[in-house]
Amino acid sequence: MILDVLRSIRTCYRRRNLPSCGFYSTSKMREVKVKASSREFINEEEEEEENEISSSLSSVKSTPEIEKKYVHRVYDAIAPHFSSTRFAKWPKVAAFLESLPCGSVILDAGCGNGKYLGLNPSCFFIGCDISHPLIKICSDKGQEVLVADAVNLPYREEFGDAAISIAVLHHLSTENRRKKAIEELVRVVKPGGFVLITVWAVEQEDTSLLNKWTPLSPKYVEEWVGPGSPMNSPRVRNNPFFSLESIPETEVSTKEHKVENIPCFGLESIPESEESTREQKAESIIPESKESTIPVEGTLETLKKNQQEYFVPWHLPYHRAEVSGASASALASGLAKKDDRKGAVVYNRYYHVFSEGELERLASGVGNAMIVDRFYDKSNWCIVLQKAALNQD
Amino acid sequence: MRLITHNMLSCNIKGVANGFPLLIEAGKVIEKEVDFNPDFLRHMFAKIEWKALVEGARSMGYAELPEDSPDATVLDSDESFLKKLHHALLELHLEEGALVCPETGRKFPVNKGIPNMLLHEDEV
Repeated sequence: MILDVLRSIRTCYRRRNLPSCGFYSTSKMREVKVKASSREFINEEEEEEENEISSSLSSVKSTPEIEKKYVHRVYDAIAPHFSSTRFAKWPKVAAFLESLPCGSVILDAGCGNGKYLGLNPSCFFIGCDISHPLIKICSDKGQEVLVADAVNLPYREEFGDAAISIAVLHHLSTENRRKKAIEELVRVVKPGGFVLITVWAVEQEDTSLLNKWTPLSPKYVEEWVGPGSPMNSPRVRNNPFFSLESIPETEVSTKEHKVENIPCFGLESIPESEESTREQKAESIIPESKESTIPVEGTLETLKKNQQEYFVPWHLPYHRAEVSGASASALASGLAKKDDRKGAVVYNRYYHVFSEGELERLASGVGNAMIVDRFYDKSNWCIVLQKAALNQD
Repeated sequence: MRLITHNMLSCNIKGVANGFPLLIEAGKVIEKEVDFNPDFLRHMFAKIEWKALVEGARSMGYAELPEDSPDATVLDSDESFLKKLHHALLELHLEEGALVCPETGRKFPVNKGIPNMLLHEDEV
C-alpha cells in the first residue's frame, strides 16, 4: 500500500511537533509603504496575431462553452453555499497529505473552498481554482491561493513536492483536457514527487443518485465544445434551454454509441426528490451518515453504466441566493431555474464521471509518471502517481 | 501573495519562452508575522530561484537579501541569513499590484492578495 512506501521514504525526515498554524499565524501585521516602480513594463504595441486556422485546431487550453456555463458560472454563483457544505475531510486524502514529509510544498489544483489547504500543518500549501469567489473564501481563511486554470497551470516546473486534484477532472469536458490536467499536475511536481487524483465514478455507491442526474449524450457535449459549433450562436447562447427543449426525447437504449436522438435535458426531466438534506449528502464525497443502497432495475442499471456525461443539480436555497447578482442574472438567462416547492434556485453542473480503469488509462498516457496506487472509495476513482525520479549516481 | 508563490509563478501565454520570473508592480504590501521554521527554509532553499527572490523582495521594499545566492553551508551557520530568508519568503504579502510578464509585458492583477493568472481566449 502506498502509505507504507511513503512512510519508508520519510525515514530521512523527522516529524516535528510544529505549531498548528505554523505558516499562517498573524500575530503582527503592518503595511509597508513601497515606492511605485519607475520601470516601464508595459508594452503598448499589440502583437499582431493571426487568426486560428480553424476551430478544430483550437487549443486544448481553451475553455469549452459547456464548462463556462455549467461549471465556472455555477460555482461562482453558489460559492458560499457550496463552501458551507464542504467541510468533512475525506480520510484517504487526509492520509495522503499527512504522509508527506515535513516542509513539503503541496500544490492543490482546483482547491475549491480550500478544504484541504493546511490540512498537514507541517507543509506549505499553495492552492488555485478557476473560481474567484471560491478562492476568496480560501484567502479569507489565510491560505496562499491564486486564480488559475488547472489545464494550464501558471507554475514553473518541478517546484512542488506533491500535488493533489480532488474532484476536479470530472468537470473537464474532453479527454484531451482531462489528460492535459494530469500532465500539468505531473509537470509541476519535483522528480519523485507524488500526485493524488480523485474523480467521481460512474459506479456510484448510492445508485438512486443517478435519478437526480440528467444524462447528456457525448455527441451533444461535443457540440458544446467547439467555438464554431451552432451551440455558440447568440440565440442559443443567450438561452441555453431553448435548444434543449427542441431536442427530441431519446429512445431508451442500452447501446453505447449511435444514439440517434439526443436526450432532452432540462430540469423537468429530473424526478422530484425528497428532502433537500438527502440531496446535499448526494453532492458531497462523504455522506454525513450511512445510507443504504436502493436497488435499481436491471435495464436502467445497464443504461446508466454506459452513460458518463451528466448534469448534476445544485439547489441554492433562496435565502442563500443573492437578491441581485449572480442568481438573478442566471435566472434571467436561463442558466438556472427556480424551484418554489423547494425554495431554491436550481443550477446544473457538468460532470464527466469516470468508469472503472478510465483514470488509470488516462494517467498511463503521461510519459514521465507511473501509477503507484489505485483505489475506489466512496464512489470515487482515485490514483496516486509518482513522477519519474532523476537518475542519480 | 507571498514571494514563495511568486518564485513559482510563470507567464503561460502561448508562445512565451521566458515567462519567469514575473516582475512585481507593488501597490500595497503588508507584513504578517509567521513562525520561524529553519528546517522548512533549508528545504526551500534548493527550490528557490535566487535572483527572482531578491528582485521580488526589492520590488516589495525589502532589500536585505544578498544579491548572489549564498553557499548552502550558510543555512546551518548563519541564523541571521535564515531570518532574512524567512522574512522575504513568507512574511511579505503583495496585497495590491500586478505581476508582469517579462517577455510580453502582460499584467496579471493582484487584488486583496490574490493573483489572477487566468488567460484571455486569445492568449491560450
